Amino acid sequence: MTHMPLKLENLPTRRDEAWKWTDVRGRVSETSAGLSVAGLPKFTLPDGITVSEVETDDLDTDSAMAKLARNFGGKVWAVSVPEGFSSDTPLIIEGLNRGHIRIRIDIAKGASLSVIEHHAGDAGGFVNVDMTVTLKAEAKFDRTIVHNDPADCVRIATAHITAWNDAAVTQHALSFGGALSRIETRLAGMGKHIEATLNGAYLLDDKRHCDMTSYIDLAVPDCTIRQAVKGVVTDKSRGVFQGKFHVRRPAQHTDAEMRHDALMLSDTSEIRSKPELEIYADDVACAHGNTIGQLDESALFYMRQRGIPLAEARALLTEAFVADVFDDLDDEDLRESLLGKIREWLKEG
Amino acid sequence: MLKINNLSATVDDGNKTILEALSLEVPAGEVHAIMGPNGAGKSTLSYVLTGRDGYDVTSGDVTLDGDDLLEMDPEERAAKGMFLSFQYPLEIPGVPTMTFLKTALNAQRRARGEEEMAAPEFLKKARALAKELKMKPEMLKRPLNVGFSGGEKKRMEIFQMMMLEPRFILMDETDSGLDVDALRIVADGVNKLRSPDRGMLIITHYQRLLDYIVPDRVHVLSGGKIAASGDADFAKKLEAEGYDAYAA
Repeated sequence: MTHMPLKLENLPTRRDEAWKWTDVRGRVSETSAGLSVAGLPKFTLPDGITVSEVETDDLDTDSAMAKLARNFGGKVWAVSVPEGFSSDTPLIIEGLNRGHIRIRIDIAKGASLSVIEHHAGDAGGFVNVDMTVTLKAEAKFDRTIVHNDPADCVRIATAHITAWNDAAVTQHALSFGGALSRIETRLAGMGKHIEATLNGAYLLDDKRHCDMTSYIDLAVPDCTIRQAVKGVVTDKSRGVFQGKFHVRRPAQHTDAEMRHDALMLSDTSEIRSKPELEIYADDVACAHGNTIGQLDESALFYMRQRGIPLAEARALLTEAFVADVFDDLDDEDLRESLLGKIREWLKEG
Repeated sequence: MLKINNLSATVDDGNKTILEALSLEVPAGEVHAIMGPNGAGKSTLSYVLTGRDGYDVTSGDVTLDGDDLLEMDPEERAAKGMFLSFQYPLEIPGVPTMTFLKTALNAQRRARGEEEMAAPEFLKKARALAKELKMKPEMLKRPLNVGFSGGEKKRMEIFQMMMLEPRFILMDETDSGLDVDALRIVADGVNKLRSPDRGMLIITHYQRLLDYIVPDRVHVLSGGKIAASGDADFAKKLEAEGYDAYAA
């Protein structure tokens, strides 16, 4: 398959409502590396799992980025998880450094899969990862995203997750941003009694940008959704949170909570936040909360009075603010490694 | 040890003068108490001595063992040995008490060019002190002061004080929120820290605390300066007669 080079006008712009704070067109130029080519991801598989390249023109969504992935991403990398599968070893996905990449993960009935994605781009790179995940009944999917791009790399990473009866999805995303980046998670609840936790944290400095967008679409009863996203911005960075719970009429007894809390450590940084609840069912418990604040000056003075230098006091308070979105990560080593990255970032700041 | 000379300070960007040419000296080995009516500037004095933002010194000087305190950042003053037991101790969400204290202790040691305290030694000391202060061991694992009662927070201040072993101790209304039993435990802890090379300044509205921690000198702070001074019995007289005679 050969294609004409990507027309930049096909990229989302700030005139598209869903992209008003993340202007992809505005940050991509003809010279961005990987604009019109397929990327080459690297999979480290646990025993019993296979990955194959599948040629398909199927399109699961009509989003602009998914279309571009279909046009330029070539074959789909298809991971298949057999019925009842479970392993202590996660599937690790790397090599998400440039180009368009299509990944499909099918998790069969009662199977369980942990995935760790390392999103680290090339300098001047453009990355578009389009991932489709299907969880059959009673399947389990634990997803961890670690994202840190060069300051001139643009990345859009979208996951379309479809979950059937009694499936469980857990997601923890940690992002240090890039020139422009968006981690978008779309979850469609197709069978009753789904449980999902979608947590994340972004820590941004310099002129970095990170957008965490999610859309949870429930058309079935008895689902439980927990979402907590924490943000820290400093210098001239910009954090974006867009979260939407769409609770359709049959989705009775939905129990859903959405939180976004952000710390602004400089006057020149920016937070854009849009939490949305759209509810048609009448017997549900849905809540959302959104706060933007600064470090508590009294707490900082208290810590300094005990001898903790200002920079260290700020780092301790900031780490404590962010860390709790990772509290429920079962894999303790993984949690420690995420916290280690946060500490490193705080130290450099 | 602590020498305050002609200290004047303002708040509200200089619009309000709180301390006016206050002079006071606390020699090593002595415990002094400052009493006074509400609004006399007692808490302001503790914040000025520890370097809190928003309190501007307009004249005078303060030295601890001859070193100019006013030139130092709050953390430098702490490393020099200045400890304030807060009237309202802050809650530090997400930071376990032990992590907080170990960070503080070792930051002070580093600043003084001393070796850091190793974890086992630190733990041993903390556990022994917690027992002495009749604190539940779980308190040390919880985020500092989060969900603690007023009395527990005050006890935690004394715990920190005993862990950090400061050269000079400032106590701001330490007895508020404590019942009699807790007050006795706290006072026992403080009295243990009395030593020939340590000074203490106890700021209190009521004389009650001074029954348990008997001061060498008692001063009345009124109108931003020391209006009168006396021995320990002077506190009882003040409690009985009130502060009217010393009104500015």
